[in-house]
Amino acid sequence: MVGPHIGEEDPRARGRTPHWSELEEPYAEDETGVMVRPYTITRGRTAPERDDLTLITVLTTAEEEADAALARGSRAGARGLQPEHRLILDRCRRPAAVAEVAAGLDLPVSVTKILLGDLVAQGLLKARAPLSVARAAGGVDLGLLTAVREGLRRL
Amino acid sequence: MATPHSPAPVAAPGAAPVAAPAAAPAAVKILIAGGFGVGKTTLVGSVSEVTPLRTEEYLTTASVGVDDLAGVDQKDTTTVALDFGRITVSPELVVYLFGTPGQERFWFMWNDLVNGALGGIVIADTRRLDTSFASIDFFESRGIPFVVAINCFHNHNTRTPEEIRAALDLDPQVPMLIGDVRERGFGRDLLLALVDHLMDLAATPVG
Repeated sequence: MVGPHIGEEDPRARGRTPHWSELEEPYAEDETGVMVRPYTITRGRTAPERDDLTLITVLTTAEEEADAALARGSRAGARGLQPEHRLILDRCRRPAAVAEVAAGLDLPVSVTKILLGDLVAQGLLKARAPLSVARAAGGVDLGLLTAVREGLRRL
Repeated sequence: MATPHSPAPVAAPGAAPVAAPAAAPAAVKILIAGGFGVGKTTLVGSVSEVTPLRTEEYLTTASVGVDDLAGVDQKDTTTVALDFGRITVSPELVVYLFGTPGQERFWFMWNDLVNGALGGIVIADTRRLDTSFASIDFFESRGIPFVVAINCFHNHNTRTPEEIRAALDLDPQVPMLIGDVRERGFGRDLLLALVDHLMDLAATPVG
């Protein structure tokens, strides 16, 4: 089986950088092409163990810990890391939001959060919560708005 | 929020130096709302640095509405899809733009989608302004600041801004811009108008 070519340029791309999900087979299917029900991937769990992951929580792979876990996995079989876990760890070597990971895996957000929660709990993935914008909590930081404004002006 | 002087993760003494992982940027989100087919994904695509991505979620909803089976009290699970894009403002800050699902009765229930939004853009089409009423009501009721985009394909618009404002019953300080959401420049102007509006609100004491 050919490994995923995450991050490589795809010559098939039509004038744009392909999204990583476009470079791979859809992995909601197993080798026989049979659809795997999403909650099979989560081993029947339908709710994440943590509820602090949001659509825009940014995840970053803890390189050292993840490499060690992935190496252990290839020696001793799955060892608890499923294919989707491995794809997430590869994807998040560049920081990505929960929504982006879900889109790339082609899995519903709630299923993705369960898998992400596994990896955060194992210390293989770091989660950064979104910036607080609640007015009740002092409102939006003016420095943040100024930074957003500067960035948008360059569009 | 991390202070500029918060310590970076330090390797244990004697540990081999490892390549520092790319620091995670902070993220904020802006919601793009409006009736079905009004141009939400088009607007996301016009300003996003990536082709809009699609993701979906299962929502469990108490089954209400005209399609109910009489006497059946149950919960439905609905799959709702949304398109989103991103703008990397700086290495430390990313803005995500979420086009809300066309059927408001679903996205209103998607708490993760609407909680913590910096603000919103409501797109309205002058030929069917009523399709955007629900989005405006929703942002107002949740206290989410928003601006209104009047989408005019081919600049086809026969109504004055005053007429549109009156028809939408817009608060006087809510910014309203008229343009073509397919144009990147209009998308940028909408986002800038929203940020300016947020700055105005931030300068106004709450209550």
